[in-house]
Amino acid sequence: MELSSSDTTLLKVQDLNKSFILHNIDGRTIQVLHDLRFSINAGEHVALAGTSGAGKSTLLRILFQTYSTSTGSILFKLASGEWVDLTHLTDSEIVAIRGREIGYVSQFLRAQPRRSVIDLVTRAGISRGLDNNDAREQAQMTLEKLHIGKPLWEVHTSVLSGGEKQRVNIAAGLISPPRLLLLDEPISALDPENRTLALELIQELTLNGVAVLAVFHDLDAIEQVSHRIIAMEKGRIVQEGPTNTLLPLLRKGYINS
Amino acid sequence: MTGIFVPEPVVQVRNLGKVYGPFSDETISRTGSSFGSARDAVTGSIVAAWDISFDVQPGEALGIVGESGSGKSTVLRCIAGDVEATTGDIRLANVDEGKVNILDFDASRRRRLRIDQLSVVYQDPAEGLSLGITAGGNIADPLTAAGWRNYSAIRTRAKELLTRTEVPIDRIDDLVRTFSGGMRQRVQIARALANNPGVILLDEPTTGLDASVASGVLDLIRSLLEELNIAAIVVSHDFRVIEMLTERCLVMHHGRIVENTLTDQLLEDPQHPYSQKLIAAART
Repeated sequence: MELSSSDTTLLKVQDLNKSFILHNIDGRTIQVLHDLRFSINAGEHVALAGTSGAGKSTLLRILFQTYSTSTGSILFKLASGEWVDLTHLTDSEIVAIRGREIGYVSQFLRAQPRRSVIDLVTRAGISRGLDNNDAREQAQMTLEKLHIGKPLWEVHTSVLSGGEKQRVNIAAGLISPPRLLLLDEPISALDPENRTLALELIQELTLNGVAVLAVFHDLDAIEQVSHRIIAMEKGRIVQEGPTNTLLPLLRKGYINS
Repeated sequence: MTGIFVPEPVVQVRNLGKVYGPFSDETISRTGSSFGSARDAVTGSIVAAWDISFDVQPGEALGIVGESGSGKSTVLRCIAGDVEATTGDIRLANVDEGKVNILDFDASRRRRLRIDQLSVVYQDPAEGLSLGITAGGNIADPLTAAGWRNYSAIRTRAKELLTRTEVPIDRIDDLVRTFSGGMRQRVQIARALANNPGVILLDEPTTGLDASVASGVLDLIRSLLEELNIAAIVVSHDFRVIEMLTERCLVMHHGRIVENTLTDQLLEDPQHPYSQKLIAAART
């Protein structure tokens, strides 16, 4: 698990530990991540595998700084080429790089109840630096690719079905994508056909140089889109390697998935 | 310092404090979150807010959360000038380029800031509006204070603001008293925006409104902040309000800031024992 130091390295996680201190439950400390070390290159799709409770989502949330870090560093290379340690940035700096540099797409769409579909996705584009026209154009294109047709564009997101919400969420996450995208089971509610469409879009990301760290609970998705697998168990990295080497082991249950 | 671009703050608050009654260093050390009270048991003085420091960037809303009596409204009212701060330094980017502490201003200069620099939207519309005059009249008020004299220009601006805040134009000449709670709040927002202030202070802006009306008002506020690039400070005990409007927030307890963090981090991974209790209570 040595760190690659190639020019394309975008993220270097070093000796990352995470504990929750539960002050109101007799002050107990629960350590959920232990000494994580890995790196990701631009244009690389890395899948996190492991049973629930292995710490996959926790790791994504720490990288997005929704969870604080207990110890360790998260080095990230900005678009300017400058390396920063995310654990040392101010809150305002984190707000400034969220969306533009690092994005997070969860399983669930979280939107203001009265936002229309097209407005939501367009605003996501604007927040990543597109001008209004480009944002709207790209929003339309992305929605169409995900088979969210025109009749739904002006509809409030609150009335959409589960699968539609998830596709709108993917559209908002993938429009003018940030340089590092964290995906936490973004296709869990999709039928096979829409799942294929979403995976195609996710595959396009890496071709455009985006680094992706993703959690998918189905191995076929991992096989289709990922280059490398990091397998986790009880908050630790237990295996790391190319998808074509590790996936057969995952399928046979030699590594938990 | 990193090369990450963070806009210059519109509001800078440093070491703001408000104490009711006489106080000394001992009073300060005998109060606060770790002491479990804002009241000094020896002198009876109340340290309503102490050592409050933060910045707010343009287009951003900063949340202040905490239970009743935590001092969050005191902070807002000290900034607004409704309450005289005991100590501190507050700078506004648009007032003398941020080179002066507005707490040093005399009362009349302080009041003038409220016309076009610092607007307040109160929980109770009766505090921010005259219910016995029309919607148009309420909006005309800050405009005339700012020197507007032309009747039709004022009327046009009032209509523009009511449209922007989604109040039916044909109600412009109706007394605000005849408006629903949600509509009164929209008129209050329209009035607050009349002279394009750099900063807007929101004190429980949707408390008392039913859920669907509240979400409409919050959505409006969020859009206005983004489009007009205004800085906002939002005080609320309702985490849905804070979650919908803010990216960063402060948690106050017994007059002190106990946590200053990203809003999603506060909700998902609160650090301070009091924050953990507050979040746990909000979730049940």
